[in-house]
Amino acid sequence: MTAQKTFLYDDHIKLGGKMVEFAGWELPVMYSSIIDEHMAVRQAAGLFDVSHMGEVVVKGRGARAALQKLIPSDMGRLEKGKSMYTCFLNEQGGIIDDLFMFMLSDNEYYLVVNADTTEKDVEWLTLNCRTNVSIQDVSAATAKIDLQGPQSYNILKKIIKDDRLEGLKRFHFFTGAYKGQPVLISQTGYTGEFGYELFCINNIASRLWNDLLEAGKEYGIKPVGLGARDTLRLEACYSLYGHELSDTITPIEGGIGFVVSAQSEYIAKDIVENQKTHGAGRQIICLEMLDKAIPRSEYRVLHKGEDIGYITSGGFSPLFKKGIAMALVKSGVVSVGDEVAIVIRDKTSPAKVVQRPFYKYAGKK
Amino acid sequence: MSNIPENLKYTKTHEWIQVQDDYTGICGITDHAQEMLTDIVFVELPEVGIEVKAGEQVAVVESVKAVSDMYAPVSGRIVEVNKTLEDSPDLLNSDPYGKGWVFKIDIKNKHELDELMDAASYADHVASGD
Repeated sequence: MTAQKTFLYDDHIKLGGKMVEFAGWELPVMYSSIIDEHMAVRQAAGLFDVSHMGEVVVKGRGARAALQKLIPSDMGRLEKGKSMYTCFLNEQGGIIDDLFMFMLSDNEYYLVVNADTTEKDVEWLTLNCRTNVSIQDVSAATAKIDLQGPQSYNILKKIIKDDRLEGLKRFHFFTGAYKGQPVLISQTGYTGEFGYELFCINNIASRLWNDLLEAGKEYGIKPVGLGARDTLRLEACYSLYGHELSDTITPIEGGIGFVVSAQSEYIAKDIVENQKTHGAGRQIICLEMLDKAIPRSEYRVLHKGEDIGYITSGGFSPLFKKGIAMALVKSGVVSVGDEVAIVIRDKTSPAKVVQRPFYKYAGKK
Repeated sequence: MSNIPENLKYTKTHEWIQVQDDYTGICGITDHAQEMLTDIVFVELPEVGIEVKAGEQVAVVESVKAVSDMYAPVSGRIVEVNKTLEDSPDLLNSDPYGKGWVFKIDIKNKHELDELMDAASYADHVASGD
């Protein structure tokens, strides 16, 4: 199967994007330099094409009750115009996918899921939402553009003239308009910086993308590829499905226990609550290299010679200028401050267990 | 188009070698290789004194995104490595044919040099997209 192209493909080529295949899509891994793009987001603003992501609308009188059964979070945290991060769990408590859920109205929810898992999610939803619920996968018609970084507000307000923008709080959204078409504007992101995620129909994506780049010129905006998207989320310790999270990793093990609510009733609650009370066998820890080596996914982690687990995500941090990683390890063996060894090719390199996250959400500047 | 100096010999795997005298060669990665990698942040150098065969993996070059092996253009003994790269791996990006050299090798068999590409053939190799 050939990779799909987003509606911004020609724009990426024009901008010199180095295209790679990711989750069945052709997307830019970088335009100029991962480090430069990363720093643009931390210091000014960056623009991302993440149209490969899946969007699913779940609506109907039974939608809320059906969704509550599928997620360990409390649907009560949502209100119209608010979103939350959560996940779908299988019967063993493993994570089917992690997702953002936007409440459009009492009976209508907009789910943003991973590209690779969209089909699996829709199947799971279909299986579990039987009465008074309709499920519509709108991914193919939807473009997603993320505008991230401290200058995001100054840039977006030049393009979207809407009074609701200024006071928009984190995890809140509204449906604004651009060229007469609706755009869902959400104050969320995957970088650790203040910013927005924009959802629109495909045919206005290219104009919106180019208008944002033009409007952002005076603020130093850069188009940003998947490479920097990964280093940014790693510094912020945001999980990536297939790495920190998977069908065989529970939210407690995967380091997203904060999404779990004791009040909710959902599939695999007994397993999750049991792990919450008594601890899980494994946990995600954060590591900082003590030499110049770069930790990468799947490298083994040793403590006093004993293999305790593996790196789920790792790389060079452009901000801290050293190797950082998240690792899934046996619980209770190491704590913050302890030293471990990472097996890199045929040698080991020392690393220190540090506090999560490496980079704290910066907020609006 | 990347820079391909006339006075060097090249491998298909994007290394260069400059023959200094009849038996010593200085080696690095090409401008094209550093362009493809971008943002080189770590270099694992070979140990001085080891014997390597042509085509054998001798060093590791890591960019932010990827880990790449570097291969020996010819057989021989590693006689010197560029320690500066340990603190400044970015020299591979900024000066791949100069300050970004990786190692020096005692060439065991001069005839192996004939197997390598000259600048024109390497330019064709790069253009073919390999």
